[in-house]
Amino acid sequence: MPNVLEITGLAKRSRQEGNEASSSGLLFSEVTATIKEPERIALLGVSGQGKSTLLRILAKLDTADNGSIALYGTASDGADPRRWRMRMGYVAQLPVMLPGSVEFNLRTVSRLHGTEYDRKLAERLMGELGLENLALSKPATELSGGEKQRLSLARSLMLRPDVLLLDEITASLDRGSKERVERLLLRWHQEEGTAMIWVTHDLEQARQTCGRVWFMGEGTLLEDTPADAFFRAPATELASAYLRTPAGRELEHS
Amino acid sequence: MTYTALSFTLLFVIATILVSVWQKLGLERDIALGTIRAAVQLLAVGYVLQFVFEADHPAFLVLIIACMIGVASWNAGKRGRGMPGIVWRIAMALTATEAVLMSLFLGLHMIKATPQYIIPLSGMTIGSGMIVAGLFIGHLKREAETVRGEIETLLSLGATAKQAIHDCLKRAVKFSMIPTIDGMKTVGLVQLPGMMTGMIVAGADPVEAVRYQILIVFSFTCSAALMSMLLSALIYRLWFTADLRIRE
Repeated sequence: MPNVLEITGLAKRSRQEGNEASSSGLLFSEVTATIKEPERIALLGVSGQGKSTLLRILAKLDTADNGSIALYGTASDGADPRRWRMRMGYVAQLPVMLPGSVEFNLRTVSRLHGTEYDRKLAERLMGELGLENLALSKPATELSGGEKQRLSLARSLMLRPDVLLLDEITASLDRGSKERVERLLLRWHQEEGTAMIWVTHDLEQARQTCGRVWFMGEGTLLEDTPADAFFRAPATELASAYLRTPAGRELEHS
Repeated sequence: MTYTALSFTLLFVIATILVSVWQKLGLERDIALGTIRAAVQLLAVGYVLQFVFEADHPAFLVLIIACMIGVASWNAGKRGRGMPGIVWRIAMALTATEAVLMSLFLGLHMIKATPQYIIPLSGMTIGSGMIVAGLFIGHLKREAETVRGEIETLLSLGATAKQAIHDCLKRAVKFSMIPTIDGMKTVGLVQLPGMMTGMIVAGADPVEAVRYQILIVFSFTCSAALMSMLLSALIYRLWFTADLRIRE
């Protein structure tokens, strides 16, 4: 059985020269990691480390300047971007609703790929996300920020991807909705065996929902450790500073 | 019209230049240049047409139409700066549109198969196609920029390039056809079209002139639709990289 995901020596140059993130002109380099089993991974680090860029590269929505990625043994180089993206479900930080109704958005995957619309699954997801009372005919662009974020997650789950790339998907949710999303994703993981790479600034969330932590700092993937070990005693000084200063972290995040 | 009468038309230009000097608009140079260019271009075209009509050889006809398509493509292509291969794609769409319309005109005997009919009607078809192409490309560029997020969302859900940009294309096709359709609604009420006016001045029966104008107006609508649809099929891929990302 090949590994779920293999990332080898991935590097990305900064978009603009003279970026304060690094003097070398690199956003990150030498990012190497392997996901052997379908795990839930929290991708942590202060802002500007390239966490979102890493997710976008994994989804083939951005390109790496060096390195390689393999998904269940299939190299990303030369892979059909459509098939790849269907297996690497990317949920963006800012949810974009397609012009049309809530149902139109839920049906996107079936429409794009000519597959049958799994109404039952859609209804179940909407219910578990607390959106069961949302009229399916309502224009999706009129939803609140939090509703959009949850609908966007449901829309991507309809793909049933092998790996879920989640970019701060609970950032604009209230506590109750946030917990619903967490519960749904935990159950989804158990039932579907989906691996998840979850960018979050909510350490409580990372601790409760993820089994592993990838910590980005100093322009690379600094730590790759089981979550309990990371939160008990991180290996690097940078990570312990990161864990000690929630206020600073919040500040950088906002 | 005699050359003496024609030279009096310069009075209009002189009046305009005087206004420019008096109001300090600083347009004298441009007006002078525009006057000379218009006069030289039109007189040259007049002599070229006279020659082609007398020669009555299909090679000249093809050459003139090819020139029209070339200039129109280059001109409309300016709207798509930075998009490699845009000019020859416009040229292909214009050529196809021109071919379809001329086949209909000639095949159904709507016009006589002589340069006197083919050249002016080709000029109008290609000219209106050029305007449609410019509008279409300009609008598609703005549209694709505005809804970049939607396009990327669709891509991230595994859409093809065509699926991802389909809505944008639809809106741009619609937008580029609106002026033609609006023009059809008010023609004759607001403005008397140039061709019809010309025919009437030259002594043609107004009703005969109107018949040709109707032909022009209807065929413009058809050419606008053909042009924008052909162009959308030919250029949508330019918005994407080979590995199906949005081109920066």
